[in-house]
Amino acid sequence: MSYSRAQLKLLLLLAGIFLAGLGVREWRADFPAAAERLERFDHEDPPPPIPPAPRSRTAPRWAAARVEATVPALAPQPPRPRTAIAPAPAPADPRPLDINHASLDEIARLPGVGPGLARRIVEERERLGRFDSTEGLRGILGLGPKKLAALREHVTVGE
Amino acid sequence: MRWQEAPLVPLAAAFALGICSTSWAAAPTSWILVAGATLLTLAACALALGRERVALAGLLALAAALGALRAASEPLPADHIARVALGPLVSVEGRLAEEPVSWAADRTRLLLDADGLRDGPDLRPVSGRLQVTLYGEIAPVGEGQRVALELKLSRPRGFKNPGAFDYPGFLRREGILLVGSGRAESLVALTADDPPWPVRVKRWAVATIGAHLPETSAALMAGLLLGEKTGLSPEASEAFRRAGVYHILAVSGFNVALLASSVFFVLLTLGIPRRATVVVAATALIGFALVVGGQASVLRATVMGLLLLAATLLDRESQLMNALALAVLALLAWRPGDLGEPGFQLSFAATAGIIYLTPTVTDWLSGWSWPKWLATSAAVSLAAQAAVTPVMLAHFNQLSLIGVAANLIVVPLAAVATTLGMLALLAALASVVAADILFQALWLLLLALRASVWAAAQVPVAMVHLPAPGWAAIASWCAALALVPYLNGARRWVRGAELACCGLALALSLWPWVRPGDGNLRVTFLDVGQGDAILVEVPEGPRLLVDGGPAGAQRLDVGERVLAPFLWNLPTARLDAVTLSHPDSDHSGGLRAVLTRFRVREFWENGRWISGTEDTLRAVERSGACRRTLVAGQRLWLGSALLTVLNPDGTRPLDEPPLWGQNEESLVLRLDWRGFSLLLTGDLGAPGEERLLASHAPVRALVLKVGHHGSRYSSTEEFLSATRAAVAVISVGARNPFRHPTPEALGRLEAAGARIYRTDRDGAVILETDGTTLSITRWASGVVDHLALDPERGS
Repeated sequence: MSYSRAQLKLLLLLAGIFLAGLGVREWRADFPAAAERLERFDHEDPPPPIPPAPRSRTAPRWAAARVEATVPALAPQPPRPRTAIAPAPAPADPRPLDINHASLDEIARLPGVGPGLARRIVEERERLGRFDSTEGLRGILGLGPKKLAALREHVTVGE
Repeated sequence: MRWQEAPLVPLAAAFALGICSTSWAAAPTSWILVAGATLLTLAACALALGRERVALAGLLALAAALGALRAASEPLPADHIARVALGPLVSVEGRLAEEPVSWAADRTRLLLDADGLRDGPDLRPVSGRLQVTLYGEIAPVGEGQRVALELKLSRPRGFKNPGAFDYPGFLRREGILLVGSGRAESLVALTADDPPWPVRVKRWAVATIGAHLPETSAALMAGLLLGEKTGLSPEASEAFRRAGVYHILAVSGFNVALLASSVFFVLLTLGIPRRATVVVAATALIGFALVVGGQASVLRATVMGLLLLAATLLDRESQLMNALALAVLALLAWRPGDLGEPGFQLSFAATAGIIYLTPTVTDWLSGWSWPKWLATSAAVSLAAQAAVTPVMLAHFNQLSLIGVAANLIVVPLAAVATTLGMLALLAALASVVAADILFQALWLLLLALRASVWAAAQVPVAMVHLPAPGWAAIASWCAALALVPYLNGARRWVRGAELACCGLALALSLWPWVRPGDGNLRVTFLDVGQGDAILVEVPEGPRLLVDGGPAGAQRLDVGERVLAPFLWNLPTARLDAVTLSHPDSDHSGGLRAVLTRFRVREFWENGRWISGTEDTLRAVERSGACRRTLVAGQRLWLGSALLTVLNPDGTRPLDEPPLWGQNEESLVLRLDWRGFSLLLTGDLGAPGEERLLASHAPVRALVLKVGHHGSRYSSTEEFLSATRAAVAVISVGARNPFRHPTPEALGRLEAAGARIYRTDRDGAVILETDGTTLSITRWASGVVDHLALDPERGS
């Protein structure tokens, strides 16, 4: 054999790499779930979404008297139903919905508006304080001109 | 190191100094030209007279003059787009200068070399580079393609706060005078996507890596090999920063050196003649630099690498320091603005540190009977860390304490991974199967790399944040480093000088922490764009932050980019209280970063959270801060300042949605200190104001933080006349989509006789009072107003 020492080292290294690669490939094919867990070892799950109803808090100790009078939610509450995502069309309401005061659920029941869009509408309302007109809805992600035109019949803006 | 062997170092230093001088004092170009000519004549005369030292001094001064000339801003061409009078929405054509970067779900950033402006039917030729942000899904376009766009153009605007990053200045150095924004649908490709070959290679490499490796590992590999960091998750980037090994993700001299040396040694091992090897290595080097792009670090390493290869070819001994100096000269002559860039400074500081300090430090470590290999790698790591410390502190306030140790493990792993990655890409050209096997081996390596970075980042004080050091501290630190190689001579005065320099650097760095207070109360309304962030500093030391400015998935994290650097520079490690007036994202978003990065003792809230603020809520829960839900009537002492809660009144149960919207449930705080009083109203609107007046809350105050950024539904006449504020501060973003502050609100404030300060025009607004006078600083202009506090006011 006419390999020099350095050449031998290089070739051995290459062979070793290929061996390792083949081994890993075999293992990943056999245990895909374990490989996936290993790949995501440093991933953090996103925080749980905040439910529509805020949770009760403990009162500050130096203001106990005052807080007891004003925050009645210290007792455990029965679980509130989460936002209803009704697949069936909601019964048509003849009165237009006041978009400035409607709740998330009410907005989500509008035709063509799902819970996601409803949430964005409420966020926009919270940011603006209130909508001046239905024009204010323009520009919300997911609310194109067609849907907006259709919505106009069902909503109004109250003071 | 002997200085005689690096004759270019003084020249490069003089040139850099000349460039630097333009930022301190801008002399007219003609004066510098005259001075340069005089220096040239003087030096020539001195040389003719045989006075070589004088000639050398003249030469160095001339180099500085040349640097100043090079850095002097060039006059704008007549057709530059920044000169053209522009309408609200303009139609621009141009060529994409780089690949589009998607930095959020539906935000894309383009760099456009404009060449035409559509003016009705005709196309007007223009020039100039634009940075464009497009909203929405864009059609696939790539570098080199000509496109037409409809844009709103404006001058770039940074946040104007003490010690803030100069964003417009940064863009100006990149040759960008205007930024544009537009809708993605307006983008029309005028030519086919036919990129130059380096772009094709890069795209192919990214796609190949993505095809063979799982997502996170592929993102890391693309970062290691090509500097493509867009795929890397924010948590992963943060871990790399904390561990002090972020530099391996930037394409740097490290990659270039690896490429050149692996090509060189493999070819030599295979028995290829030396000359051919050098030529192949040089070609690979240039090709790599073209593919990964023209960052300062790549150019530096390429210039140095080519010089070293040339030295091998010519059988000359190579002088690293001289090669580095030549690289400095070449880069600065080409792009003088780079001198101020962190990337340039880090690359050159690290390289200079390694070249200059490693031999001495290795000797020391070997002297303590460390094994040779460990001593060398530890010395390199130490030398680089020591040299980049002032740069990291000045730009990022970061000092990685784990860095020296982490680099010892991570750099070799990264080196092997990078080399193997190149090999795998090469193999992919020939056979997909062979490439896949190599990528599987690589995956194992990348996992080990990620695990070690992650472990290093978990160490409690892996990274500390310190205020940016002043010039004196940096200079004494550099002097201390420069003296290191002379310490072995054991001359007494050298040791003394070294000790003095180290002590001075340390003392100057510690001074901001131990500086005695001036006994004044300070309130800073930070410029955070559209949103609120207000820091109250009480003379006894406690600090209260009210709201944290905007942040969210689709926008800049103000907490990370504005609040954290501002607080680090104060310096602050702890906030006694953080208050969230209400959970809207322009108030709560930035608090996530604040709660993660600082120790927070108490968190005061109105008890309501809305969807979209999950990240902040989680940060509150993890911060360990004591949470208090405040209601009207409570009083809190903050040092000697008294805080009174005026709103919400607590009549609306927390588990029911607010009657009038979240804004009316804003925490309203009143702060009293000696003769000074301040009313912080959050986003309170008219119904809330009415309720406050009806409850006879003490709203009369000297300074009013105007409710809801100057919305027309806030600040009613009745409320303003009840507060009788002499000073009104509006925290609002320039060009915000809500058109805040509204003329109606401004009119009512003026009619009420308040002096109006606005963060969009004035930058940060800083109130400082000793109890008898109040000074108000507009940070952007530096104008300070003084007001005498009337002792009768409070009665």
